[in-house]
Amino acid sequence: MKADTHPPSAPASVRSFLAELLAEQSRLDTPVARFSHAHDAASSVSQLSALAPQLIPLTAPSPGEQYAFEVDLDSCTGCKSCVAACHSLNGLDENETWRDVGLLVSPSRARPFTQTVTTACHHCADPACLNGCPVLAYEKDPITGVVVHLDDQCIGCSYCVLKCPYDVPKFSSRLGIVRKCDMCHSRLAEGEAPACAQACPTHAIKIVTVPVAASTSFLRAAPDVAYTQPTTRYVTQRTLPENLVAADAARPRVQLAHWPLVFMLTLLPSAIGFSLASLPLAAWLTGALGLAASVFHLGQPLRAWRIFLGWRRSWLSREAMLFGAWFPLATLAAFAPRVPRLSALNTELLPLAATAVGLLGLFCSAMIYIDTRRRFWRASQTFPRFLGTAVLVAATLTAPILAAILLCAKIGLESRTCFDRSVSARLQRGPLKRIMGLRDLLGVVTIVLLVAAPGAHNLIPLLAGELIERLLFFRAVDAPKMPGIPTA
Amino acid sequence: MSSPLDALLHARTGPMTANMVLHPSEFGLGRVPARLKPAATTTAVCGFCSTGCSLKIHLNAAGEAINLTADPDYPVNLGMACPKGWEALTPLAAPDRATTPLLRRNTGVPLVGSSRSASGSNLEPVSWERALAAFTDNFKRIQRDHGPHAVALLSTGQIVTEEMALLGALAKFGLGLLHVDSNTRQCMATSHVAYKQSFGFDAPPFTYADFEESDALIFIGANPCIAHPIMWQRVMMNARKPEIVVVDPRLTETAQAATLHVPLRPKSDLTLLYGLAHLLIARDAIDHAFVAAHTTGFAEFAGFVKQFPPARVAADTGLPVATLERLATIIATRKRVSFWWTMGVNQSHEATRTAQAIINLALMTGNIGRPGTGANSITGQCNAMGSRLFGNATSLLGGYNFASPAHREHVAGLLDLPAASIPEQTGYAYDQILDAIDRGEIRGLWVIATNTAHSWVSQTRTREILGKLEFLVVQDMYATTETAQLADLVLPAAGWGEKEGVFINSERRLGLVRKVARAPGQALSDFAIFKLIAEAWGCGDMFRRWNSPEATFQILKTLSRGQPCDFSGIRDYAHIAASGGIQWPFAEVGPAVPRRPESQASQTRSVSKIPIHLATQADSGSQPQLPARERRLFSDGHFYHADGRARFLFDPPRPLPEPPDAAYPFLLLTGRGSSAQWHTGSRTDKSAVLRKLAPTVLTLEIHPDDAHRLAISSGARVNIRSRRGSAEAIALVTSTVQRGQVFLPMHFEAVNRLTVAAFDPHSRQPAYKATAVAINAV
Repeated sequence: MKADTHPPSAPASVRSFLAELLAEQSRLDTPVARFSHAHDAASSVSQLSALAPQLIPLTAPSPGEQYAFEVDLDSCTGCKSCVAACHSLNGLDENETWRDVGLLVSPSRARPFTQTVTTACHHCADPACLNGCPVLAYEKDPITGVVVHLDDQCIGCSYCVLKCPYDVPKFSSRLGIVRKCDMCHSRLAEGEAPACAQACPTHAIKIVTVPVAASTSFLRAAPDVAYTQPTTRYVTQRTLPENLVAADAARPRVQLAHWPLVFMLTLLPSAIGFSLASLPLAAWLTGALGLAASVFHLGQPLRAWRIFLGWRRSWLSREAMLFGAWFPLATLAAFAPRVPRLSALNTELLPLAATAVGLLGLFCSAMIYIDTRRRFWRASQTFPRFLGTAVLVAATLTAPILAAILLCAKIGLESRTCFDRSVSARLQRGPLKRIMGLRDLLGVVTIVLLVAAPGAHNLIPLLAGELIERLLFFRAVDAPKMPGIPTA
Repeated sequence: MSSPLDALLHARTGPMTANMVLHPSEFGLGRVPARLKPAATTTAVCGFCSTGCSLKIHLNAAGEAINLTADPDYPVNLGMACPKGWEALTPLAAPDRATTPLLRRNTGVPLVGSSRSASGSNLEPVSWERALAAFTDNFKRIQRDHGPHAVALLSTGQIVTEEMALLGALAKFGLGLLHVDSNTRQCMATSHVAYKQSFGFDAPPFTYADFEESDALIFIGANPCIAHPIMWQRVMMNARKPEIVVVDPRLTETAQAATLHVPLRPKSDLTLLYGLAHLLIARDAIDHAFVAAHTTGFAEFAGFVKQFPPARVAADTGLPVATLERLATIIATRKRVSFWWTMGVNQSHEATRTAQAIINLALMTGNIGRPGTGANSITGQCNAMGSRLFGNATSLLGGYNFASPAHREHVAGLLDLPAASIPEQTGYAYDQILDAIDRGEIRGLWVIATNTAHSWVSQTRTREILGKLEFLVVQDMYATTETAQLADLVLPAAGWGEKEGVFINSERRLGLVRKVARAPGQALSDFAIFKLIAEAWGCGDMFRRWNSPEATFQILKTLSRGQPCDFSGIRDYAHIAASGGIQWPFAEVGPAVPRRPESQASQTRSVSKIPIHLATQADSGSQPQLPARERRLFSDGHFYHADGRARFLFDPPRPLPEPPDAAYPFLLLTGRGSSAQWHTGSRTDKSAVLRKLAPTVLTLEIHPDDAHRLAISSGARVNIRSRRGSAEAIALVTSTVQRGQVFLPMHFEAVNRLTVAAFDPHSRQPAYKATAVAINAV
């Protein structure tokens, strides 16, 4: 570096010229000054409405029908304008997209093939997001079938993110809620095409009227239609190869940890374990911590009082109601014996009731995950894991050898998910192998201690191990999605 | 439904809901959220690629851009835009914009070799006065010690034409530089040279309507689905059931949409094109009348291509003879055949002759000057065409010739300059400038709106060379580009949307760029920076008439007058805006059209009186002429050589500069990876949306057989080595690439560590698409 560092030696003329140029640079013409495109209103509206008949139906759906996206795979070139236009025309946050473009590839040597796939909400006939929402923040429009999300109703529990097999609802940490594609239903109501359809240079995206049922031409490499009955139609004049795979399938994605849920789902089963071991005060304290942890999971906790609304369909709603009932029972069970004025309540029934309600709550907790139909979260894994924690806590305090045997069995059961070709197995053997190793180490230490030095202190390694197991439960899950593009 | 209880339980309204509710917006935009409702709109041509789409910019009451949509009224894009266009405003708001000049802290240690790299943290903010002093003091010192040509300039295809012209004039006439080149050397130099030699002027003949009016579209080394999606839109609008042929070693997105994919061996296209000429001659599918009336050299060419019988061509290209025959049949039998090429042709060791082999096919079959025909180069950067005419690098401003005394005289007269200030020869090309730095002949370099330390070939050596400079000035929107990080002085530039001027697109259409956003901090338009430097250098008087972009545009009109690119009939910016852009030529009509000087050195024919461009209306009162919206060249068969004839130009094919061998058994192809990425990503990487739309990691496409042999599966990490460097990538196993070939997208910095430094001898364009590499699993 030999940059001369003379003091500013610019002549006065340069300095005043600079001031002038800087002033000019910051001057913008205001709309009244020029280019007020008076003609635009006429010319471009006509263009929008000229396009509309090609892109959207001219009449409302009849009963038993709904609107759906139709994607012409033969016209889609993968330009991705649909994603950017949706983002701009709907005013989404900077990093928020409601549409994605993925890639399907054929591993065949004989017939090289790739296909780009644009995908947004499939406005399912049986929407999993809607079915799982504990506060009824999703509604399926009775006429158009559009699945609309009520942003001001949402509590930000993200359960819909877990329920949707297409990775459609996206959590916004700025807003503390999820948002998703609404098929631009207010545009449709005015005879205007959705942003993505308007913006597609080859008109590959249209809105069509279909029966309210699973699409008859869904994408082969996408998650099974039986679960939610997606309505998007992917049409092609060609025959796509049988063996298409998503371009991002090769590298499984490690999922979010959801730390508040990890703590909650370790602490609440432990509380029930203490109940089973007739330690109501410990049960109350652990349970209170677990419930407190759950609050941190919500993006909008102040709206959570509506959580009972979804009880007819949502296991999350049921879980919340049961633990909502459990907590006063557990409180009474813990404190009634200590408060003389409450001695009337001091019966054998109270702890029993608390334990029973807590076990039912745990059953719902497990069902929340089983109901997502993710393989890693199947009943034969989730029930033993969640209820196992409760039983292990009780056994550690009352029957350490039994606890050691049960823990052996539980770890054996967990490790069954590591040794196949599933996404979860690849994750646990790959990017998560250290966490997996830690879980096993803690398990072995606990087993040895349970045999060699029984006592309440063994709860520490036991619960540490259970906490790590619950972390793996979230991080290693096989989250389904539509085909994507290769990522890191 | 709406009982008080229901309203309490179901919050169907509220601030978050209201925030997303769409309202009518006027201006023909349909419905948008209330917070994005514009107070007015204006239009601006997009600043990424050469398609030249018009974007409708939504302004708030203060005149600031708040959003944009594609412009439905513009003849180029007809209401569509690609994701880069949709996101055009986002990179302006990036947090790493350069907001003040930055000067390298004096460490007392000379920067040699790679010690310059990763030293961007030594750049500290300084005032413009100090920056200008550093610029002039250092460059003048270098010129004093090592001669005026020891300072060189690398410019760009990304700034407006007025800026290019001012820069070219300032550099050569004001600062006394000789070696001036730009990044258009990396994309369009081949087309420029090929057209100039074949037609007599750098004149892409087509208009986008030709995509729609063709019976057969033959794309050679072009992937418009990804690289030019809005041009592909026009192909899709073709209602003539055209044959779409894609000549490309890879089964690209475009190849998959084609009716015929011709997967030739990389860089065997010259042989293929000569072989097709041979077959067409054998079938007598020649437009003899056109060839006789409008071309020279056909007989020699016909004799030459006898060496390319189908058997040889099949052997050299790896294509079956049946494919050659089918291609020849398409060209011979379809009425309107158009040929389109991009970087697959331009970036080659024999690029110019390949482009001319395409031109030869169009000429010999009479597929030029008619709707749906032409030998058509699809340009890369938004203003590569402006750079080709007004960069003042290889051609004198306005497409004139530095070597011609009459041309120098003429330009000097128009610019009020002493003719002696115009150099008599052209300077070094990009690669020669770097070589001259390497041997110490050039000591100072000024880089504007390009990213040499990422985009040039053989990065290890390139960075070593840049490290040898005594003073490196980088003028850019961002101080974070790989090149800016190496600079001694960074000048903060306003970007697209923060200044005004004219871009010229692929089909010769002049379109307007408008100032709709404030540049951050002390960033200034490139135009203002050039004016400041002229002032600080002491040559400000030379450019008094260039006092604004629009005043400069009027100067450029006079420079174009009488040239093939004559646009003197354009009145002003408002005329361009009202016409949906205006294609050159658009000469002033009337009795007083000054003629350009004719001289021996001038080998090109004046076209100023040919009224092919005028719409039928002849009302030329105070209203300017409105041109026809789509116009093509050569409908009269007259080319720009002095004899009015096009040339058949050809040379024997040459072997690959670096063929695969035992040590480096694969051939690496590079190219555009996705429609969401632009070149080195200095702008597109600033948009969260665009980042989502492209792979976030370098991905190597490799054939299943090769992957199997090397025990590589999709998603596995692989190492790629060439004789010059190595890169790590994630494998994507796909048979869209052929055996023995691999593909990497150019948008990742690691890629050009691998690429070979080989150049076309005529255009000096680097051959990015054929490097021998070795691959292994990590």
